[in-house]
Amino acid sequence: MLEVIVSTMPFLLEGLWVTFEISMITIFFGSLIGVLVGMLRTLNYAVINVPLGAYIHALRGTPFLIHLYFVYFMLPATGISWLQLEAFPAAVIALSLYTSTYVAEIVRGAIQAVPRGQGEAARSTGMTALQSMWYVVLPQALKLMIPPMGGVYVIIIKGTSIVSVIGIAELVRAGEHATQRHPRELMLIYGMTALMYFAYCYPVLRLARWAETKYGGVRLPS
Amino acid sequence: MPDPTPIIAVKDICKTFEIPGRPPVHALRHVSNHVDKGEVLVVIGPSGSGKSTFLRALNGLQPIDSGSIVIDGVELTDAKTDHNKLRQGVGMVFQHFNLFQHKTALENITMPQMVVLKRTKAEAGEIGNRLLARVGIADKGDSYPSELSGGQQQRVAIARSLAMTPKVMLFDEATSALDPETVGGVLELMKDLAAEGTTMVVVTHEMGFAREAGDRVTFMDDGAIVEEGTPEAIFDNPQHERTQLFLSQII
Repeated sequence: MLEVIVSTMPFLLEGLWVTFEISMITIFFGSLIGVLVGMLRTLNYAVINVPLGAYIHALRGTPFLIHLYFVYFMLPATGISWLQLEAFPAAVIALSLYTSTYVAEIVRGAIQAVPRGQGEAARSTGMTALQSMWYVVLPQALKLMIPPMGGVYVIIIKGTSIVSVIGIAELVRAGEHATQRHPRELMLIYGMTALMYFAYCYPVLRLARWAETKYGGVRLPS
Repeated sequence: MPDPTPIIAVKDICKTFEIPGRPPVHALRHVSNHVDKGEVLVVIGPSGSGKSTFLRALNGLQPIDSGSIVIDGVELTDAKTDHNKLRQGVGMVFQHFNLFQHKTALENITMPQMVVLKRTKAEAGEIGNRLLARVGIADKGDSYPSELSGGQQQRVAIARSLAMTPKVMLFDEATSALDPETVGGVLELMKDLAAEGTTMVVVTHEMGFAREAGDRVTFMDDGAIVEEGTPEAIFDNPQHERTQLFLSQII
């Protein structure tokens, strides 16, 4: 058993690294797009809101696997040269867009949950709309965003396992390869794979929890 | 004595709220008014009479449909007017205080000064501490809003507005959300400000305050000004039937 662990570990760690790369890039771009979309949605201009709402609902209402097939198989079928994507960029693009829709809704919800009077008070001192957003509304919205954001990030990390279907050698894929070499050690190898996901996701959740108490904790009377 | 140069001149303003599926609400119907420098204008009336809408229109928080509002010579409805600059000169105190919840009492007062007036932290802090003492809570600078009573929060809110050295202070039912025992202190503070010559527009249900501190009282009902005059004229000898009815109900 120890021999199996030692011999498969390097492959699994390589897979974990790919999972780490994909999820980090995805979380970065997904959050960037999501924060932008979420903030734009709070402006309540129909011209902006209707298309962005359609984007969010279309992606949230369909499975990620279809998005992945769309970007990786269907876009190249158009014959347009710059849409011929390699597996890795295709996976990152599809996952980032998917992530952005969840982040956008969290951001929008948190901004709208900050009482209206906060922005009004800021504006009445002479702050611009942007200053009011930056100094007054966002800091208060941020603490509402942290817990659901941590949840989405963990779901995305685990969700990267789906990209194995287009041949990316991430952690689950690496585990499958290992089971082909050691068909009798299914339990052990998938157990190790699961542990590695856990070792990655658990700190993320702890970090969110820590950030929540640091930035968003209820201030108790001293 | 008020100086007879109007700081605020309101002419013929209208505002209708269109709510889908319901009849439109005419919050302001051709309202005209003016506030002179150093004057305390008190606006009274039943709820839904348009007095808060009127007040919120004065600093542009509530856009109006038609009419003209001139603040210290600047036309508010002019598209070229810088509303942010204009709001700087018009302080507003809200019914629910609206203190920035993530900032301490002192930071509530210093942050707008630093952001809007570009004062340094030291300057803003000095002004902030002086104003906290002025409103009677010098020792509460480090407290967060959630740790303060309603009365204390409203004092911070008043200090926050004063820090911007406004030309006019607007009070939107500033004592309506307070516990009875803290109302008196905040009203005293407002009376002091009035006595110092602060130009104020006060929407209130506190008739004692209106009588004592008001230079002029305007009674609004159903989106229009029904009657106005000196506190004595309005309270002791109301001319209009609706004014009489309203006063008889609340005193």
